[in-house]
Amino acid sequence: MKLNYRYTIAYAVITLFVLSVGFAIVYGAMSRSVTQSTIGKLQHLNDIIAAQLASGRDYTGHPARANVRIGRASTADTARQAQLVQVRQEWEPSLQASVSVVRLTTYPRIRGLRYDITSKAVVVMPSDEYLTGIVLVFAWTFVFLLALVVILSEVISWYILKPFNAILQGIERFELSQKTTIALQPSRTMEFNVLNDFLMKMTSRAQSDYQGLKEFSENASHELQTPIASMKAKIELLMDSELTEKQLLMLTAMHDELERLAKINQSLTLLAKLEHFESAPAPLTDLSQLVLSTEAAFADLAEMKGLRTTQHIAPGVLVPLDESLARLLLNNLFSNAIRHNLSSGEIHVVLSATELLLENTGQQPSAPVSELFGRFKKGNAALDSIGIGLAIVKRISELYSHRIEYTYAAGWHRIRVVFAPPA
Amino acid sequence: MKILLVEDHLELSKSIASYLTQEHYLCEVATTFDEAREKLILFTYDCVLLDIMLPDGNGINLLKLLRKDGVESSVIIISAQNALDFKLTGLSEGADDYITKPFPLPELHARIKAIMRRRNPHKNNVLTFLDLTADLESMECRVQGRLLHLTRKETNLLLYFINNKGRMLTRQAIAAHLWGDYTDNLDSVDFVYQHVKNLRKKITDAGGTDYISTVYGLGYKLNAAE
Repeated sequence: MKLNYRYTIAYAVITLFVLSVGFAIVYGAMSRSVTQSTIGKLQHLNDIIAAQLASGRDYTGHPARANVRIGRASTADTARQAQLVQVRQEWEPSLQASVSVVRLTTYPRIRGLRYDITSKAVVVMPSDEYLTGIVLVFAWTFVFLLALVVILSEVISWYILKPFNAILQGIERFELSQKTTIALQPSRTMEFNVLNDFLMKMTSRAQSDYQGLKEFSENASHELQTPIASMKAKIELLMDSELTEKQLLMLTAMHDELERLAKINQSLTLLAKLEHFESAPAPLTDLSQLVLSTEAAFADLAEMKGLRTTQHIAPGVLVPLDESLARLLLNNLFSNAIRHNLSSGEIHVVLSATELLLENTGQQPSAPVSELFGRFKKGNAALDSIGIGLAIVKRISELYSHRIEYTYAAGWHRIRVVFAPPA
Repeated sequence: MKILLVEDHLELSKSIASYLTQEHYLCEVATTFDEAREKLILFTYDCVLLDIMLPDGNGINLLKLLRKDGVESSVIIISAQNALDFKLTGLSEGADDYITKPFPLPELHARIKAIMRRRNPHKNNVLTFLDLTADLESMECRVQGRLLHLTRKETNLLLYFINNKGRMLTRQAIAAHLWGDYTDNLDSVDFVYQHVKNLRKKITDAGGTDYISTVYGLGYKLNAAE
């Protein structure tokens, strides 16, 4: 979920809560102020009644007396309080409804005598229509607010988060192997600048670590090749001297192991090199030509194993791929197809403008085929191979965005390289 | 034939030098950039075997200096870089050939011979071993004057044997020579057996003597004594 959606939702929830509280307050305040203003009116009325009493004239028929009861107060009442307010739900015959009735009793002293004057008034509390009205006001406010928030959050978040999105893009484009530091623009927002600084430091450190590791792995494997070459040379010299069969066998075993060590080392260096290889805009390579020549180079090996090769090569298939790498890829694929084949098996090679398909008969691999692209994964542990060839093939394909698939079904291994469209 | 070996790894240079001396080359060794430079100014060599990583400089720079100074010696780069490095970066520019470590010594020998032949195309165009002859120009091989019908690989194999006569060649060395870059296949050594078998059969079928002997099933040797 996008950041601003989350903000919008949080904001909506908060708004709803605040508006609800506001509604409660407004409702409470209105109810109270209605009562209060009625009490104010009644106080005024009581004052008028008290003035009438003080004048000593007879106001019995006066309209002010309609809802007023006048009596003599006991001192006990006056001692308690200056006035008494009562709000009660009562049946009002004149309205034929149960309404709130406010009664105010005051205890004025008039010409030495204490009276109690109780006036009453009917109050219509804001319960029904009032309530609906208020709710509608709040609901509309909420809807309007929400609509505004949704629209503005898009606009504002686009503006405020612009530097953040730029950072995200910068990170996406960033590659460890690139020579320059990560491209980030300064922002006016403090947090983003902190993030920028942090990313700058992180990436430049990762870059230098990576560079160090790369140099180390390259140097280490180069340094290894020379002692291996030296040992092999000495063994070869020794083999040409007078030796017993037993000694020769041991020497040959050592020689074979060294050969293997050298091959593993070479393949790993190659793979490391390919990992770090920066593929320049790829030149187009004529794969038709290359497939044919590779097939020819392996023809004698295939023949000796009694393999039948059929090929359908479309002419002039140009694919973005470095030629040396294309050669390496084809070598690995063909040698695998021969090595992992059955005797008197078959190999099919199909090259079209969009893909290269290499099928060969063979035993079911002991590991899932998808794992065979990993290093040192072998489909057949019995064979004397290193198990890096497919990892190299995969890496080369990835370098130029070609898609590679490996499937096994009904005794056939199929490797399909689907070419990326030329840029 | 005079060869200068520029290699800083002492033991490796000793082995190579001893092997080349056995093959009747005059081999001198330089272990540093400066020493090599000095020797190349003072003396003339037919071939320079050049390591790239030297303690006091880069072999490639030495090669550039050589060519600038007009030194005509053939140069074979001996390096731990793999073949792809050379192809991708054009490392071997200006060199006649390159060979990556580790390499079988007979392979180095074969490369030197091939380069020497390219330099002097009219000299010594026919390789001979007893009654076996190989014309390097037409790539025709004969036994007792009778033409052998060999495939390209078999011709190549026979040349390799004659060039390294009397020396045991391991199956790996033969595989590396025949298939070169293609032999990532460790098991391609099994195919060597087939090729050698075919070659021997063709020679004996043509009425020649089979001089190739199997060394305890470990390798092969072209030997007059058998």
